[in-house]
Amino acid sequence: MTPDSTDPAVPSGKEPVARETVSDLQHWRIVTFHQLGHYLRTNRFYGLLGFVSLISAITLASQVNAGIAAVRYEQLFKSSEYLSNFLSYTGLWVILAAAFFGGDALSVDFSTGAGYYMLVLPIRRPVLLAGRYTAAALVTLAIVGTSYGFAAVGAIYFFGAPSVPWSLLAGSLGIAVLFSLAALSVAFCVSAFIRTPAAGVLITVLALYVGFTTIQAVVELAGIEPWFSLSYAGGAMAAILDTDFVHIQTIPLGEDQYYTLWVSTVTEGLEIKAGYVLVFLPLSAYLYQRKESTG
Amino acid sequence: MTEVSFEVESLSKSFHNNPPVLTDVSFRYAGSGAVGYLGPNGAGKTTTLKLLVGLLRPSRGHAYLNGIEASRNRKAALWNVGALIETPEPYPTLNVHEALDTVGRARGLSREDIDREVDRCHELLDLPPLGRRIGWLSKGQRQRVSLAATLVGDPRVLLLDEPTSGLDPAERVLVRRLLNGLKRDHLILMSSHQMLEVTEVCDQLIFLDHGRVLLQDRVENVAQRTRLGEVDVEFAQPVPPSAMTPLRAVATSVVALSERRWRLSFDGSDATRVRLLGLCQTIGPVVQFANTSLVLEEAYLELIPKTTEPV
Repeated sequence: MTPDSTDPAVPSGKEPVARETVSDLQHWRIVTFHQLGHYLRTNRFYGLLGFVSLISAITLASQVNAGIAAVRYEQLFKSSEYLSNFLSYTGLWVILAAAFFGGDALSVDFSTGAGYYMLVLPIRRPVLLAGRYTAAALVTLAIVGTSYGFAAVGAIYFFGAPSVPWSLLAGSLGIAVLFSLAALSVAFCVSAFIRTPAAGVLITVLALYVGFTTIQAVVELAGIEPWFSLSYAGGAMAAILDTDFVHIQTIPLGEDQYYTLWVSTVTEGLEIKAGYVLVFLPLSAYLYQRKESTG
Repeated sequence: MTEVSFEVESLSKSFHNNPPVLTDVSFRYAGSGAVGYLGPNGAGKTTTLKLLVGLLRPSRGHAYLNGIEASRNRKAALWNVGALIETPEPYPTLNVHEALDTVGRARGLSREDIDREVDRCHELLDLPPLGRRIGWLSKGQRQRVSLAATLVGDPRVLLLDEPTSGLDPAERVLVRRLLNGLKRDHLILMSSHQMLEVTEVCDQLIFLDHGRVLLQDRVENVAQRTRLGEVDVEFAQPVPPSAMTPLRAVATSVVALSERRWRLSFDGSDATRVRLLGLCQTIGPVVQFANTSLVLEEAYLELIPKTTEPV
């Protein structure tokens, strides 16, 4: 062999391995299973699952301790009200799961050796992102689903299975899934932008929880509906179960002073979440595609 | 089989406003064989490999794998390429088989072929137990798993960045033997600081310094060009100094390195080299006649210091 030469290859006696063309769809499945296999063995998955289960179990246990009559009275004798209240923490679980599983999903390729393992394979980066996103969505759903499972068990125990609004509960879970996808889109975008995995997780939590909540409170004080806020849109998960739903509440603060409180309608919540997915997921793919392994 | 190749064409890379890491680097190799990519730390070796596989984008110029730019079509460019760059780290939660299985499936292998390939790599590289988690492996074991991942599916172009770093001497011998077998029908670009490794494995050399190619040539040409008038001879048995007397008539100096090893200086001509070899063989069985490792090291030192002044 010489530079620019075309010396014929000398066979080593080993038969070439037969290789089939792999479609992007197949690569997506491969990456999803690879990532899922990783997530399902991480401490963060079991930690968060345990934490959500523990909080849900403690809530349920305290309600059982209070007695069926007390819980029914407190929840206005409506299982939907019970579910709506029980699931009020779902937004936090979603944000934590999105941060844990999305906050470093892409930055890990540029801050550890993981990228030198995966990014040299013949897989397009958007497909890698899609596989990881799917895996992150599935584990987030497992976390959120656990909370819904406890809520359903409680509703059956206190109100009886026939009175549980299953279709509304399923609708709420559907909204939670969309909320998870939106939060993961933001987390992936942060992860594509930030180089340090721990910083990605932290920034995602701060942005989705502290940031949005603070901005929401400020704009509400100014009398503006926080239609741009993802945490505001998260209210739709409970709103669909709330039989006494009120979109706008005006609370008098004093003489000629009012505080207007908005609660997202289901449609509005869906639109905002879909908007986040449509903006942040392609942006993540663009940033990830452009990112260089300089480390 | 389609001929495989790697090529960089007027390739330059700089980061932000810093001095360029690579400047106008060009080379092309095709067919089969091994190319050693040599240079001091920071010369731009790893950067070149990263540009080839699309982990970096060129500031100017082009980098092709099998005629395709990875920065434009990663999937097609990397289809027949195995790359071991920096320190790859499969997820520590996965076991060895799972880590290799993902690579095999991504490269289009059937379930049976993956198992066969994993078994082959297990045998070739003396891999740790396949059920053991990556996070529990030693550095050397992880490096061997990463090398196995490079080989699964038998890609015909191999880009290896310091492939024996982190390995113990026995593992290095193992890898060198493996690469010597592979280069018969694979095209290998291997960056390394290990002169012995380069001598034993590579047919061609590229010397790089401060992002510029200083020299490209065959290994033996580089060796000849540098230290033409010196060879090391190693005998199978200890040789007393008196036995070396006939050599003194031909060599300008005969220096004992050990009881069995001697360094001979001469005029550098092929005719004298042949005469010396003949004389040595009359003294006793010769195990080795040229230490090209030393010669390459000297070539390296001769080339590099001239340009390692701060820029």
